Formats: sequence, structure tokens, C-alpha cells
Amino acid sequence: MPRTTLRAAGAALLAGTLCATLAGCSGSSAADEGGRVTLRFTWWGNPDRAERTEEAVAAFEKRHPRIDVQTSYTSFEAYKQKLATQAAGGDVPDVVQLDYRQISQYAGSGVLLDLDEQQRALPTDEMDRTLVRTGKYEGTQYALPMGLGTQVLAYDAKVWRKAGAEPPKPGWTWDDLLTALRKVARVHEGPVFTDIAWNEDWFELWLRGHGKSLYKGHGELGFTAADLARFWEFSSKLRRAGLTSPARETTQIDGAVENTPLGRNKTVAEFNWDAPSAGYEEIVGDGLRLGPFPSVHKGEADQYFKPSMLVGIAANSAHPREAAQFIDFLLNSGRAADILGVDRGLPVNERQRARVLPKLSGFERTLAKANESVAGLVKPPPAAPPRGDIALQSTFGRDYDHVAFEKASARQVAEDYITEVKSELRDQ
Amino acid sequence: MTPPATASTPAAPRPTKRAPGRRLGRQPVREREGAAWVFLSPWVLGAAVLTLAPMVISLYLSFTDYNLFDAPSWVGLRNYVQMFTEDPRLLRSVGNTLLYVVIAVPLQLALALVVALALKSLRRGQGFYRSAFYAPSLLGASMSIALVWRALFNDGGTVDDLLGRLGVHTGGWINQPGYALLAVALLTVWQFGAPMVIFLAGLQQIPQELYEAAAVDGAGRWRQFRSVTLPMLSPVVFFNLVLQTIQAFQVFTPAFAISGGRGGPADSTLFYTLYLYDRGFTASHMGYASAMAWVLLLAIGLVTAVLFRTSRAWVFYAGEEARS
Repeated sequence: MPRTTLRAAGAALLAGTLCATLAGCSGSSAADEGGRVTLRFTWWGNPDRAERTEEAVAAFEKRHPRIDVQTSYTSFEAYKQKLATQAAGGDVPDVVQLDYRQISQYAGSGVLLDLDEQQRALPTDEMDRTLVRTGKYEGTQYALPMGLGTQVLAYDAKVWRKAGAEPPKPGWTWDDLLTALRKVARVHEGPVFTDIAWNEDWFELWLRGHGKSLYKGHGELGFTAADLARFWEFSSKLRRAGLTSPARETTQIDGAVENTPLGRNKTVAEFNWDAPSAGYEEIVGDGLRLGPFPSVHKGEADQYFKPSMLVGIAANSAHPREAAQFIDFLLNSGRAADILGVDRGLPVNERQRARVLPKLSGFERTLAKANESVAGLVKPPPAAPPRGDIALQSTFGRDYDHVAFEKASARQVAEDYITEVKSELRDQ
Repeated sequence: MTPPATASTPAAPRPTKRAPGRRLGRQPVREREGAAWVFLSPWVLGAAVLTLAPMVISLYLSFTDYNLFDAPSWVGLRNYVQMFTEDPRLLRSVGNTLLYVVIAVPLQLALALVVALALKSLRRGQGFYRSAFYAPSLLGASMSIALVWRALFNDGGTVDDLLGRLGVHTGGWINQPGYALLAVALLTVWQFGAPMVIFLAGLQQIPQELYEAAAVDGAGRWRQFRSVTLPMLSPVVFFNLVLQTIQAFQVFTPAFAISGGRGGPADSTLFYTLYLYDRGFTASHMGYASAMAWVLLLAIGLVTAVLFRTSRAWVFYAGEEARS
């Protein structure tokens, strides 16, 4: 009898240990030990950004020895999925990096903290007003921009010069771009430009030039299947002419700069956002330049400035004040501005921006110049896209695959896409 | 199939020498049951919490609209109706999955059988080759192998390079709709080790007398294979077929890794499970994804039932005639 009791107890103990181990896996956030505070900070990016971010975090921890910041990062695609899952499980990290396209999803769901509650720890009065507004959702400040970014044409200036092509300049048009590309094609073998039509971001600018937008009002579509078909037919013409990358190159684009045709040295020019273009440097070398995005009408700019990314605090964070202090350090302090440079775009704090810009060199200087050159021309950014848009972004590229591989006509795929958009927006 | 040796009668509590046998032998049944439950508890808890509960929840979610952020709202059968009426991408994913199953499973089983036959007659080193051919099955499901595969079949990758030397210029497999599915299927075929080991065991069970008798009747090797090996092996073939088909329907990792999670190019590797993942985790339609999961479960059940039904016509169980 005592023997069996002992055995039962042993088994129970074993089971107990197993449970404890399992529970340990789920990971509780921020345990207080003698006044120490642990913050979790997640973001997306590349190894270069990781290095700078870690350095900034170390500087913060030195200034606040009581606070420990644990960081983790992934690529953007994986980040989107991870954060959504964490949000569903009520386990959002204390400090999270967010995309402009994620704001409406998260802000409207009670996942993010109202930052006005932490205004003392996180003042915003030195920040760019219009940019700060992009972190608002229905009147509440849920996030703050981490940097200012814009769309650019990344190109190899050496090849451009060799061809005698006109370099991009503010106010230039799509026609100017085509003229330049044709010249470049004469001296460069193979496609010279990366297909433009896989990315909804570039379609958006093309729409802007034609006086339209992706969305209008509350989750209503701002364009028709005919608009999209025209854009895709335009890109298909360039592709068939051999000017732009073939489908089997374009389809390999996955969000990482090193997998784009320009990043793999298959073309000599490509559209991108300014901050991630730093990744081209390794492939293209010192010929890399960033030019303004072409516009539909001469002398205008269809591109716009938007927050390259935003940052927010989890509503259920146990340490909102410390989280606010951390964000304050990242966005407002000179120390962080010196370390981070323009890695996440131009600094949002205007005092820091004025201080940092003259000190830049190399690619960072190119980036800053590309921003400055269009500053007088750009119009305000569109409102944050509605919920559901984040999924449509990837659907857009996948649908274009069918056009690029000539599996279906542009018109037909455009109509499919409109159907998908409508169903997506209806479900939200 | 004979049950594996390890699953023989569970070790009953044996009376120990030291304890007085009389009392131990008549331990109240309830007490022993209690001990059994204690020992079973890790498994029962795991099954209930990690399998049963999620299944029930997912069944519930499949009738709701649930975006991970807001509380699920009941929509009845809408998800199921939408799947079959207004989702062309889903239908494409069904087509891809079926094509994949039809290509990968027969190829894999054929290769497994051929290698098993070759190994059977091997006098020396069988153990080594068996392990060597089995290894891919252990590695194949991993992300790293899928990434290696991606590199092999990429534009300018090893396969492209080798074929190029033979004068065949493909320009990469994984970036072209016509080839991508084949690259994924090959990864599955390469993992033929598990069915091969089972085939080998089955082959060794066939009585040698049958071959001797056949030889006496003048049967050549091919005839022996067709009239002795295949019928005697048919239960094993059936077992492997069912198992591999079920697995093939659930293929996910290789397609996910090779296409970067998008099922491209042009949706050519968009398998059902990949699209399910996309709907659930990228588009945040957990209700819809749950409905898809349940339809997959039913579909696999149906296919398995059909396989069992047809098996009556071609699977031969030794000793059957004696019964009838």
C-alpha cells in the first residue's frame, strides 16, 4: 500500500514537472525582480538594422540600468503573421513596430495603448506634426512614426551615364522614364528595369497621378477593374518589349531587397522605398543612386512622404511608462538619432533631423538628398488604408503573377482582384 | 499488417518477491485504475488540451467570422458556402493538391518498392543501405532541406546548371509555374525511406516456398514478381498507399519554404494547406480557415474510405480463401 502511494506520488510529481515545463514555454512577460523591469520590443528589418537597433537599445539600457530590453526581429512577411497571432493570444510585446497598413487593424481592436496617457514620458512636441497625425486612429494617438520615408527609383548611375540617359529629377514623368530606359537598354544587355506591376504601392502612385486612389472614404474602393487592367497592360507592354524583367525573375520578389531583380543584379533600375534601398549598395556598388518617382503630369510629384514605420505600446503592457521612456529615447534623443541615422527613414523629431542630416555620408546622404529634392512638390499622404488591406497587398502581387506569366488576360485578372478586394473589405 | 512488437500486451503489474503475494494479487481494482489514470494523465491531458479542445473550438470557429482581434460572430454556413461558390483561388488550390497527390504518391511508392526489391536480395550491407535510404525521411520534413531544395532548383541553381550542360535550359524550376510543383513533388519522392522499410519487412515475410514452387512451374523473375510478390505484398502496398496519400494531402512545409509562403509562381504550388494558412494567418480569417480545415478532414476521410472500398478488389490477405 505505501509503495503504490509512493509510486502515485512519483507519477504526479513527474506530471507536475511536465506541466511546469510546458507552462514555462508559454513565456510570461516582464517579471519584476527587485525593481527590475523587462520590456519586449519586436520589429522587422535586416541584419544592418538589427545591429543599429541593438546599439541603440544598449545605450538606452545604460541610461536606465533598471530597464532591460529584449528585442527580436524577423522579415516583414513573417512579422505580420507573428504579431497577429500574438495579438490573438493577448501576448503582444510591450513595444511593437507597426506598418502604416497595420494601424487600423490593431488600433481599432484594443491591442494598443492610447499614447496620450504617457505624454509626460513621451513628449511629441518636437516631432513633425503631419507625420505624428498618421499614428492616429479615430482621434486617438495609438502609434508614433519612427521615420519619414518615400518612394524612389533606385538605379545604377554608372550604366545610366554610359548610355547618356537623362538622370531622374523632380517633376519628371513616366514618359521621361521610358525614354531613359530605352537609351539604357541600348548599352545594357537584357532587361534594364524591374517589372513595376507586382506591387500595389506603385499602382497607388500611378492612380494618384490620374486623380484616383486605392481607397476612398470608409473602406470603399477608389479605382475600377478598368484602371487596374490599364496599369497591367502598360507593364505587360514593357515586359514584352524586353525592357522589364520577365515573369520568372519578377516572381522571386519576396520583400527582401536581395531577392529583387536589381538586388540580384538582373536589372539596373527598380522602384522601392528609400530606407530599404540601402540593401542594394552591396550589389550595385557606389553607382547606386536614388531618384524621385516619376509622375503622370510634368512638374508634379505623385509620390508622398509617409511614416516608414510606426511604433506603439501594447494596451496590456505591465510597464507602459518604461515602454514610453524607451520610445522617447529612440525617437527624441540625440544619442539614438546618431546611432540609428536614417536607417528607418529620416528622423521624425525635427530638431534631431536638422542635427543628423548634415552629418550623413555615403548612401545615407544619397537617401537624404532624394527626400529633400521632392520636399517642395509632394502632396499629403493618403489616409491609412482600411482593415483587410494588409492581406490584399500580397494578393495583388500573386494575382499579377497570372498576368506576367500570361496565364490570363490583364482585364480578367483585374476583375478577379476587384472581387477579392470587395469580399475582403466586406468581411472586415 | 501485424501489430508492431512494441505494442504487445501492456506490462501488467507483476507480483514482486518481497511483498506478500496474497495481498498484492487482490489489490482493489479501483485503486489500480487510479494508478493507471495517474500514469496516463500526461497523455490524456495532452490529448484533451492540445488536440480535442482545439478541434472542438475550430469546429465552432468554422461557423463564425473571426479575425483574431474581435470576438467571433456567428455566420452559420457562410464560410462553407463561400468556399465553394466565390473563391476561385481555393478551387485552384484543390486542383494543385490533387495533381500533387497523383504525381508524388505513385512515384514515391514505386521508387520505394524498387529499392526495397534491390535491397532484399542484397547479402551484405543491407543494414547500411536501409539506413542510408531511410535518412531522407527523417530530414525531409525539415525547413532546412526545403531551403536546400530551393537552392538546388532555383534559377542558376545546381539542377539548372546540370541540365544546362546537357543542353536543356529551364531557367530554374521553382520560379516557373510549369515546373515548380514538380520540384516540390520530387522532394516528397526523395523521402521514400519510410514506405521502403515497410516494403522490405513485407517482402521478407513472403514464404520462400512460394518462389520455389513458382520456379518449379517454370515462372521467370518477372512472372514471379507479378504472381507471387505483388499479391503477397498487396496488404503492405495498401497500407503504404493509404498512409502516404493522407500525408500528401497535408503537405505544407516544402511548398511553404520553396515558394516563400506564397504558393507561387502564379499559384502553381498553392496547396490546400498553404492557402488555409494564408487565409488564417495572413488574411486573419480564422473562421474561414477553420472551415477549410474541416473540409480537408472530411475530404481525406472520404478518399481513405474510397481506397478501402477499392482495396477489396486488389488486396489479397493470405488465408482468406480458407475462411470463405
